[in-house]
Amino acid sequence: MTIQITEENGTVTGVLNGRLDTAAVAQFTQDMKPLMEQADKHIVLDCEKLSFISSSGLRLFLSLRKETIAKGGDVTIMNVPPEVKQVFTITGFYSLFQFQ
Amino acid sequence: MEKQLTLVNKIEQIPQLAEFVEQICEELGLDVAMNFNLNLVLEEAVTNVIMYAFPQGEEHTFTLKAWTEGNKLVFELRDQGKPFNPIESAPEVDTTLSADEREIGGLGIFLIQKIMDEVSYQYEGQSNILTMVKVI
Repeated sequence: MTIQITEENGTVTGVLNGRLDTAAVAQFTQDMKPLMEQADKHIVLDCEKLSFISSSGLRLFLSLRKETIAKGGDVTIMNVPPEVKQVFTITGFYSLFQFQ
Repeated sequence: MEKQLTLVNKIEQIPQLAEFVEQICEELGLDVAMNFNLNLVLEEAVTNVIMYAFPQGEEHTFTLKAWTEGNKLVFELRDQGKPFNPIESAPEVDTTLSADEREIGGLGIFLIQKIMDEVSYQYEGQSNILTMVKVI
């Protein structure tokens, strides 16, 4: 599981790649720290290559969303595969983010 | 179809579930969406056992069995950890709350119950037995 983070014109983009399962969460928590630190900005998560997510991964998305609420930023999720999107829908997380 | 996987209570074991589910789906001709959902359900159930069933620092094994009964695919997760009924213990999940109000946690058993058709728990012979059934 990897995330590649870039910043351009005030938008911070994270491109996710791989399986965000429970085993990947500890490393991913470290890897997404730059996003947490820039939670006052517009954050875009490109999930085209996110092939799996479980509840431990969802919790990280929620942590980031909470951080942006506290700091005045926002989170947009784009290119979500249908199976991943379904997990957001079932859990009610879909309404917590902006999707593109 | 009948398969069994023996796991150790270490979080590094989780990726083995993907392979286990992949083999089952291939054998039964199940599609990508079903593969994803079954993988998700098993990960949630197995994560609970790994994180909470045994005292920290102790190594234990537990088993996951899968078999078919007619049009039902049955999974049975059996551990000899402390007695724990995940169904009764699950916190209520309110999916209508805002991000501010949502708690970080309690989603695992919620997902299992939403995705599977039957979920039951029993404690028998010093084992926690979680049975999860999906109509296929």
